Amino acid sequence: MKQIKIDPITRLEGHGKIDIFLNDDGEVANTYFQIPELRGFEQFCVGRPVEEMPRITTRICGVCPEAHHMASAKACDAVFHVEIPPTAKKLRELLYNVFYAGDHTTHFYALGGPDFVVGPDAPKAQRNILGVVAKVGLEVGGKVIEMRRRTQEVIKILGGKNTHQVTSLPGGVSKGINEEERKLIEEHCKWFVDFGKFTIQVFNDIVLKNKAYVDLILSDMFSMKIYSMGLVDEKNRVNFYDGKVRVVDPDGKEFVKYSPNDYLDVVSEHVEPWTYLKFPFLKKVGWKGFVEGKDSGIYRATPLSRLNAADGMPTPAAQEEYDRMYKTLGGKPVHATLATHWARTIELLSAAEMALDLVRDPEITGTNIRAIPTATPTEGVGIVEAPRGTLTHHYITDEKGILRKANLIVGTTNNYAPISLSINKAARGLIKKGTTVTDGILNTVEMAFRAYDPCFGCATHTLPGQMPLVVNIRNKDGEIIQEIKRN
Amino acid sequence: MIDRLSTVLVLGLGNDILGDDAVGLLAARELKILFHDKVDVVEAAVSGFEIMEILEGYESVLLLDAVVTKAHPPGYILELSKEQFKNVVAISPHYMGLPEVFQLAEEMKIKFPKIIRILAMEIIPPYDIKEGLSEPIQESFPQFVETGSAILSELLAGKC
Repeated sequence: MKQIKIDPITRLEGHGKIDIFLNDDGEVANTYFQIPELRGFEQFCVGRPVEEMPRITTRICGVCPEAHHMASAKACDAVFHVEIPPTAKKLRELLYNVFYAGDHTTHFYALGGPDFVVGPDAPKAQRNILGVVAKVGLEVGGKVIEMRRRTQEVIKILGGKNTHQVTSLPGGVSKGINEEERKLIEEHCKWFVDFGKFTIQVFNDIVLKNKAYVDLILSDMFSMKIYSMGLVDEKNRVNFYDGKVRVVDPDGKEFVKYSPNDYLDVVSEHVEPWTYLKFPFLKKVGWKGFVEGKDSGIYRATPLSRLNAADGMPTPAAQEEYDRMYKTLGGKPVHATLATHWARTIELLSAAEMALDLVRDPEITGTNIRAIPTATPTEGVGIVEAPRGTLTHHYITDEKGILRKANLIVGTTNNYAPISLSINKAARGLIKKGTTVTDGILNTVEMAFRAYDPCFGCATHTLPGQMPLVVNIRNKDGEIIQEIKRN
Repeated sequence: MIDRLSTVLVLGLGNDILGDDAVGLLAARELKILFHDKVDVVEAAVSGFEIMEILEGYESVLLLDAVVTKAHPPGYILELSKEQFKNVVAISPHYMGLPEVFQLAEEMKIKFPKIIRILAMEIIPPYDIKEGLSEPIQESFPQFVETGSAILSELLAGKC
């Protein structure tokens, strides 16, 4: 059996490895997506006061600390049996939507976008933000940097710090905003909405007007008919911060809608011997292996699945684009993995519109921002939609609020099985008997998982050393018969 | 974004609950004590755009971080120049590594530090969540701080 190894995966936060095993006929026999993920976080937290969790959990990930901060704060609210004041909820939501808009910007322009903007066959060194700027111009690059800068400024005002936010506490937030800050944030939010519309236009011009790209999006090798998961509000519209988790089946019919406290009734985790990371699946359907369909418990939790699981968007411009996407792609649900990029741009716009609505809410400058917990702490679950999937924090404490047990299902983990399946499908679609495995082919395989915006290992920020991308092709005895270095 | 009190920045990168990955942060804290009113000190667990936002506007920067080259034993101290990063043969697996940050800032004509000194310590890739440094990193840590201190003195004296 021959083996093709893609290691490390480019533009992935954290480190991963894809192994593609070929049989003696040169066809893909199997694929494995292995993650050397961080270990021991839950155990690290045990014995600490639970109110420290919103600050500690931001350190899990350098990419989405806001998501962990919010899920953790919500779990703490539940542990202390406290309902937070409306102003506090709106301040948290405002911060979270601004973060969402910024995070999706990074993915679209720096991670996933280069695959389309520069093209999957472009040289390796060009498939990044520099390539995007070279292709679409300095003006666009400037807008992206401006967007990031502005979102960071708002997050610092609301969250106390850019990266490791400290604002959310059990029962509310530690700091409100005054009218002067509100006006400043409102100006930024107006800019975010314009940027969201601009990004939709960029996607339209560069991706949708290119027939080859549309064909790739709709191709069978990038399609996967499985369940879709996402948080929805009381009207079943997409909500990133709060609500119930809704799951629809591959035909788009509601399968379950559950409150955070009930997550263990819905989701279970499968273990494979070749990886430390577990594979979440829908308990009532069951684990049937890496297969598609209604009988397989595999589900996705991505921008596309959030749109599939909802009946619509909470804001007007995003709703318009939501309708256009489904009309263009043949109706709900959409199972084209690469359409996740389109869904992400719709979410970016929605987050910007939502942030503008919130900052214009008369309650946003209110001073009642925290309900002091008085009940004995016990157990609580907090769920938000991280940009890369439904994020669940579950804490159990003693009567003094000391953490006895913690369980986290992070966004990307939900998607571990579908990512593995997507890679497998793409590899089988591209690598046939006699195929010369080129850089472009391997990048197209990588596109299958980049659409998910995965973030596994999170957080090592070591300087880049000598990290060539090496592709090893091995014979059936494991000996390297060809080595390709990308540089 | 950052209240700039100095034209010289010390930027410590890393994660303080990821073992040896914290070495840059811990060194930055030591230098903050030694140079508290002369330089700005920022600790960050970020990469990409955020680093660009932090560096923008400064005249000179000392960047402290962990590095995994597998070419040296743990605890080995390296001083790297910005130019050396142009020879990195592959894009960082992180979405935007330092070479891309430098190049993007250059292309976008962002006001970036003219002098960037990079001090790094070789570590073993950390995967276990824990606080504290391993023995070889602890042994090299005083030298790491001392070297950083010497570089800062040079930066403040305008000798670079």
